[in-house]
Amino acid sequence: MYEYSRPQAMLRALRDLVDLTQSDLGDRAGVAQSVIARLERSPDANPSVKTVAAVAEAAGFRLKVMLEPIEPPDPVIEAYKRDVDRTLLRENLRRPVEDRIRSLGEWQESLRALEYATRSARRAPAQRRGRR
Amino acid sequence: MTQLERLLRALHDGGVQCIIVGGVAARAHGSSRLTDDLDIAYDRSPGNLLRIVAALAPFAPYLRGAPPGLPFEWSVPTLRAGLNFTLTTSLGAIDLLGELTGAGGYEQLRPHTLPIELFGGTHLLLDLPWLIRVKRAAGRPKDLEVVAELEALREEMEREGEG
Repeated sequence: MYEYSRPQAMLRALRDLVDLTQSDLGDRAGVAQSVIARLERSPDANPSVKTVAAVAEAAGFRLKVMLEPIEPPDPVIEAYKRDVDRTLLRENLRRPVEDRIRSLGEWQESLRALEYATRSARRAPAQRRGRR
Repeated sequence: MTQLERLLRALHDGGVQCIIVGGVAARAHGSSRLTDDLDIAYDRSPGNLLRIVAALAPFAPYLRGAPPGLPFEWSVPTLRAGLNFTLTTSLGAIDLLGELTGAGGYEQLRPHTLPIELFGGTHLLLDLPWLIRVKRAAGRPKDLEVVAELEALREEMEREGEG
């Protein structure tokens, strides 16, 4: 039995498991290859349970849906959550994923440069004292 | 090109089977936090260990925090003998995780990933519900703050109809 939390991940893994192309799986399930591609890739794809079940069945699997209890709220996490700056999150959500990662890399490098400059500045007075 | 980008490209170009987890994954989902290292959950099959060794070898991986001069051989037997490695490389810090507390290894996490296009290649990213689950399971005080932000992020995405 395999467990998935998103239909996209399940459909993609399903093809890996049975080693079928998108066209092969589409043919078996009676849907176009482009439908399979969209279901696997698009974060906006919201397939019906019927469609997912049909695709799973075409690959030789039966779809099972499971209920999992929701964890009760943790008071510490809830307290932290009140202080989260959601304007930053909304700003980030508007940017493509690649931009989010690129800006992280740029921040890391800027901070490294800042760290280096601070270390050099701390060392400088000691070196000046040493020269006197 | 940033060092993080070069590190991700090296893993991709080397055909390494891995999942981006941790702070970089959080950032990819929209977190505003900064992180110093790249955490990946890696497949421990012999072929993949070979690919990891080859992909990272040009960047001189060494145990992070180990005293300089400590003998460390970057090789498949070393990876096989251990599980989780915290490394420093010439492209920055990388953590290779064979197993994550409360979540398991690559095989268990694989179904809970999203493929993302990054710097010309497809990478696997741990999905948001599982990232939250992993951070909760880690249970360190610093993780609780991260969980709070990730949960706020999930609420924002649901509000925007992205979740």
